[in-house]
Amino acid sequence: MNRREALNRVAILMGGAVSAPTIMALMEGCTPKDTASTPFSLSADYQSLVAEIAEVIIPTTDTPGAKEAGVGPFIETMLRDCYSDAQAAHFTKGLKALESKSKELGGSFVSLSSEQKTEVLKGMEAAAGAEKQEAEKVKEIDAETGKVKDDGKGAEKVTPFFNIMKELTLFGYFTSEIGATQELDYVPIPGKYEGCIPLKEGQKAYAL
Amino acid sequence: MNIQGKAKEQNTFDAIVVGSGVSGGWAAKELTEKGLKVLMLERGRDVVHVSGYEDMMKESWDFPHRGRVDKTAAEEYWAVKRTGYAANEGNRGLFEKDIDHPYKEKRRFDWIRGYHTGGRSLMWGRQSYRWNEKDFTANLEDGNGVDWPIRYGDLAPWYDYVEKFAGISGQKENWDVLPDGQFQKPMEMNCVEQHFREQLENKFDGRHATIGRVAHLTEPTEEQTALGRGSCQYRNKCIKGCPYGAYFSTQSATLPAAKKTENLTLINDKIVYEVIYDDDLGKATGVRAIDQNTKEEIEYFAKIIFLNASAINSAWIMMQSKSKRHPNGLGNISDQLGRNIMDHHLSSGAGGVIDGWEDKYYYGNRPNGIYIPRFTNWGNDKRDFLRGFGYQGRAQRKRGVPTDATFGATLKESLTIPGQWTMGIGGFGETLPSESNLMTLTDDKDQWGLPVIEFDAWWGDNEQKMRVAMRDEAIAMLESAGFQNVNGYKDEEKSPGIGIHEMGTARMGREEKTSVLNKNNQVWGAENVFVTDGAAMTSSSCVNPSLTYMALTARAADFAVNELKKMNM
Repeated sequence: MNRREALNRVAILMGGAVSAPTIMALMEGCTPKDTASTPFSLSADYQSLVAEIAEVIIPTTDTPGAKEAGVGPFIETMLRDCYSDAQAAHFTKGLKALESKSKELGGSFVSLSSEQKTEVLKGMEAAAGAEKQEAEKVKEIDAETGKVKDDGKGAEKVTPFFNIMKELTLFGYFTSEIGATQELDYVPIPGKYEGCIPLKEGQKAYAL
Repeated sequence: MNIQGKAKEQNTFDAIVVGSGVSGGWAAKELTEKGLKVLMLERGRDVVHVSGYEDMMKESWDFPHRGRVDKTAAEEYWAVKRTGYAANEGNRGLFEKDIDHPYKEKRRFDWIRGYHTGGRSLMWGRQSYRWNEKDFTANLEDGNGVDWPIRYGDLAPWYDYVEKFAGISGQKENWDVLPDGQFQKPMEMNCVEQHFREQLENKFDGRHATIGRVAHLTEPTEEQTALGRGSCQYRNKCIKGCPYGAYFSTQSATLPAAKKTENLTLINDKIVYEVIYDDDLGKATGVRAIDQNTKEEIEYFAKIIFLNASAINSAWIMMQSKSKRHPNGLGNISDQLGRNIMDHHLSSGAGGVIDGWEDKYYYGNRPNGIYIPRFTNWGNDKRDFLRGFGYQGRAQRKRGVPTDATFGATLKESLTIPGQWTMGIGGFGETLPSESNLMTLTDDKDQWGLPVIEFDAWWGDNEQKMRVAMRDEAIAMLESAGFQNVNGYKDEEKSPGIGIHEMGTARMGREEKTSVLNKNNQVWGAENVFVTDGAAMTSSSCVNPSLTYMALTARAADFAVNELKKMNM
């Protein structure tokens, strides 16, 4: 089920009674808590690194970017509270890989020029694509149930680093106060409903 | 003895209403307005109108997980989570933690609960439709379940009555399949929904779309404003509680009306688990309850009792109410108590996108969608299954336009522009009554020492066949209306309960040997006990049921008070 399909489904289920952020919020279900796990956390360096990557994905323009919107700490909170240990560990591995790519260009990601940052991130994006393709290959279809069989390794399926980084950045940014009120059209109490009106020049999409 | 006598006097009322949700609220309103001293017992905590809606004014950024379900909540709300929305951070406060209220599943059952004043009237979807004439005769015609002891004509004046008070907005259409009601001004359809409505009329015989009929005030009456209710403000944050009293809930509507009479006593935290039946008198004399916090046992007494604890819990109370006259539970000579569980099956439908209307938008968040009434097995339409389904859906503009940029300023910009129009429609299908779909009491006990329920219910062949049509007709209608990339879906992982429209555990009927309640919602053999929530339903129709619970409750309350006046109770 893709995101759009899921969104449609939920909207339908509620007879349209659910607001967009509510729908967005359930797109990614959290997996049940592993037993006896230590809470996920990032080192200070990695905290700056995550904030920096988010800022490249959603940069400051005439409106604030991801860093000012607090996307970095948000991503750490989400990985700790909403994702499995395996997913969080895979994310940390991604950060490590990103840093070693950055070193090849002369230093830590944070210290690179914006062109170099883009280059590193493009590399991570390509790696995510390859990782996903690889995962597809090992998928087997069960003849009886028509369902995808376990990948055989018994390992939990995890989302590639770049994908989860990007997704949480976009989600975190557009649900932040900055993202919702400065980058989108935010109307807390509309007071009326008009079903079919001309689109105004420069009208931004609604935050809700 | 003296103290006990006094305690009994203090705990004696004209009527007891068990439960404070949609139907319990109506029972309390009707009975108090007719002059009875009424005790309303609610098993959960009190939620005070407006001040009790803790998340009501919060924004997405006020929630640390921006609404998503964290790992702890996923464990606590293991059943609620199955809905895909109700365990979300911003609204789960009004849903019950399943770990605190265990139940068992022989087959998976998604039991979604709200134990507090107002019950699920605070979180319902508010879609409000009348049943049609055939909904009341279908069982008789195709031989499933038992015949309803009432017909549409018996309920029509009571639909009028409850619609006027509750405030239902909708469009009159003059369709047999979806009888019109007493409507306030309809909400508007957006451009693409209007287009869809026209295309449906042009391309399909007997298929229609109308704006959803919802319990939201669009033109409040004097009676409604006098209770403190106002118009819908189009925030669409209804599930967090409505500060404007615009949508119908116990808190906004029936409770203030009942309180106004000064005849109502509301007591919270009392889990009613048994109806006290006096074999010598041949009637019920009260109820037994346990305090959810102190675990203290307590009895209350009254001339009449209304069970409105929700379909499952009303049956659960009756199953525990055993006496010489009722050895298998109250009104259960037929062995039908706890059987015939119905719900609406859903999660089958389609969605797509459409080009055009790029220069059009909408304003406000409409807490409502469109409705496509049943068309299968109606008129000339004949299918390989019985009965039918309606669709709920909506069109909206996506946020964001396509770009090659996968990150950076261009992506950021593209995500702020109103995008393509999308539309989705999903079916709500009728479930046939079946004796083998049931709940039982197990030997397991909850923290109050009360028996834990086990569910054993599933969709039958008829529902499975209907689900295929729900998906395929949705695809056909969207494609005919010019939508592209139409995705059909038929989710196999949803189970009964997911519609949160549980019905049928104490069905109405014409005979004691085949039903639990008579035509006035009286329990057979305990005629001063009335059950008017979803438990009473003899069949399920495909439309949302709450409006029918309201009408049944008002009708039964009127009957009860007349009988009381005639000294028949």
